[in-house]
Amino acid sequence: MKVLIAVSSKEFSAPTLSAGMKISQSFKATATVVDVGDKINDFSLKEVSMAQERMESWDFDRPGVDVLEWAFEYLADNKLIKTTSIDAGFPKNMLVEKGSSRAEVFLEGSVSDNVNLILRNGDIIEELRDEVQSEGYDVTVIGASKKRGMAYDLVQYIESSIFVANNYDSNQSYKILLAVNDSPAMKKTVKYGVRVAQAFGIGVDILTISTKEEFGEDYKKAAAWAAKLLRRSGIEYKNRFEVGDPSNLIASNAGEDHIVVMGASTRNPLKTFFKGNKPLKVLENCKCPILIVK
Amino acid sequence: MSIFSNQSVANFLFWVSRKKWLVTAFFISISFFYLPTPEGLSSEGHRTLIIVLTALILIISESIPLPAVAILILIMEVILGVDTPDGVASSFMSDAVFFIMGSLMLAVSIVHQGLDKRLALAIINLTGNKTWRIAFGFVAISAIMSSFVGEHTVAAMMLPVALSLIRNTGLDTGKATRLSTLLLFSIAYGCAIGSIGTPSGGGRNVIMIGYLSEFGLGKISYLEWMKYAYPLMLIEIPIAATILWFTFTPKQRIMDSAVRKLKVSVAKSGKLNNNQVMAIVVFIMVFLGWIFLSPVIGLGIVALTGVFFYLSFRLIEWQDITRRTNWGVIILFGAAISLGIQMKQTGAALWVADNALNSLQFIFQDVEVVRWFFSVVLSAILTNLLSNAATVAVLGPIVLDMGGNPIILGMATSVASAFAYLTIVASPTCMIIHSTGLVTSNDYLKAGWKLFIASIILLFLFSTFYWPLLS
Repeated sequence: MKVLIAVSSKEFSAPTLSAGMKISQSFKATATVVDVGDKINDFSLKEVSMAQERMESWDFDRPGVDVLEWAFEYLADNKLIKTTSIDAGFPKNMLVEKGSSRAEVFLEGSVSDNVNLILRNGDIIEELRDEVQSEGYDVTVIGASKKRGMAYDLVQYIESSIFVANNYDSNQSYKILLAVNDSPAMKKTVKYGVRVAQAFGIGVDILTISTKEEFGEDYKKAAAWAAKLLRRSGIEYKNRFEVGDPSNLIASNAGEDHIVVMGASTRNPLKTFFKGNKPLKVLENCKCPILIVK
Repeated sequence: MSIFSNQSVANFLFWVSRKKWLVTAFFISISFFYLPTPEGLSSEGHRTLIIVLTALILIISESIPLPAVAILILIMEVILGVDTPDGVASSFMSDAVFFIMGSLMLAVSIVHQGLDKRLALAIINLTGNKTWRIAFGFVAISAIMSSFVGEHTVAAMMLPVALSLIRNTGLDTGKATRLSTLLLFSIAYGCAIGSIGTPSGGGRNVIMIGYLSEFGLGKISYLEWMKYAYPLMLIEIPIAATILWFTFTPKQRIMDSAVRKLKVSVAKSGKLNNNQVMAIVVFIMVFLGWIFLSPVIGLGIVALTGVFFYLSFRLIEWQDITRRTNWGVIILFGAAISLGIQMKQTGAALWVADNALNSLQFIFQDVEVVRWFFSVVLSAILTNLLSNAATVAVLGPIVLDMGGNPIILGMATSVASAFAYLTIVASPTCMIIHSTGLVTSNDYLKAGWKLFIASIILLFLFSTFYWPLLS
């Protein structure tokens, strides 16, 4: 499996990086850390790259390399990276252009086998979408953004599962809030929930919500299947059934001390475009990290 | 069951969300096409204005790559019956396009020589170690050099010099400080100011010279342009330096150890090598060619001759030129000039000029003020949103159809299009300093608005009192 962790700065991305590496470890996946820099307009693309070449000849790093260097050191310091020759430090001289807006630091085999570092420039949604599509990531980890539409666009248009490290604090103890229903993605969602619970070493609250007073058979079966898998995996869990609006109930049950794990919506994207969907509403209301499984 | 999968619908929605301005441009052009042709405007003129509007939306929104916009302009010119394929092809290529192509290649060739270390030594020898003198020197040297070499060439060479000084003061070059903002803007604004000084300062100057000649309104030689614009450029240098100093006054008033460290590191690079000497000699020949030969063979051919020598003397390889030259910009400017010529030939420029004069006269009364407002203020605003050469290519024919003294109006438009102080996208130099991550979009506004207003006032004084004495 492959996990993509999007970071943006030394100041704000530590929680995202930490959460992303835990997610990656839970799936025994290869992690790729990507920093997407500002878009350079077409009028200036070549001129900027010429200026950056001159800067490099004076031993200045191009913008973004400092973020990758910080990420590398953060991972090494926190022992989140398997290094084969850590003494050499961050190998910035191994930054290789892989296209007009993509550069990669080759770590595999030389410095680390389980982490890659990538630098991209452009519109963040387009770049992450392109990276996921071309490299086939299973989970994309992003931080919460102040721009309201960004998380919406990422959840909507990126093909992988998305983990939004909303207010994630590595020192806080969390529980998983596993939202189950009768959707086709339910089994995958529960499996992801189990993996994350194992990696974080935490318990799970299974939450089944019905909009009607009566719970359908499929809902009950889904909750029972989730409970069985958790029991077999040796994870402590509680099963809860509630009636009401799913988005509001998930957000209120999650509070600030849960990691929400839920399936992506199966609603037609055109309807979602105009009316939104459950995961997007949960994302809007929640104050805790969320994993949306696709 | 839907015939489209959720994934394909999502892909379509993503495309629409990213290309909304392309879709908007498409619907606007279709709507305008079916509107009746306004009175006084020819049918070809009507269709030319549709192309102008579409191109402006696409260039500003950047919803498709610039070369695609250029190609779309050419396709629309033929499909909408504005001109024949051969007519479009001949208006696409001109001496101005040769000049833009040649000067971009010259820029690549000069930057390739690694002359920036020599430049660093020259700057610090001239300025000494006081910070205000260094900032002033950055503005002045950037301006004077970019008036001949072209602004982004100078910015690319000056940037590492500025960053070295910042690093040598012990500051983190990854974090913005008032010193870093001061020095980086000294480069960007210096380069912008310098680009007005000579025709070779920027492609837009040559586009305007080309329009004046093509439309039979007058000829301006390299030296004549300098007589008009160089004094204005020289006066702008201290004004810009003062504004920048008081806007971003740094804590470090003296940079003694930083300058010494820079001298030591530059000294290690040794003397000028043969290639560097040859590169300078070739550029001096090009400069002399622009002065003495351009009235006969054109500025573009002189620039291309310089490129020929750089390639022939193996001062640069063709692969390096192709890799670093912005071919998309060359194609776009060719298409924009072609569109400008069509605006003139179809009467669209005259129609816009007449309507602008009539509408704005309600506000300003005096027709001279209206002309000046249109050529200067509109160019200066548009250049901050678009690109200075594209601004001149589109506005040039309109301004030149407004009556009055075409040389003064043309010069004013060209000069005003250099006032690209307010936004990151205004010019490649603004983008180059922004790419360091040390300046934000707010920084451009902080100092930019003051310099913008000062420059407009200065241009008003020059175009009213000094330029009429020359023409």
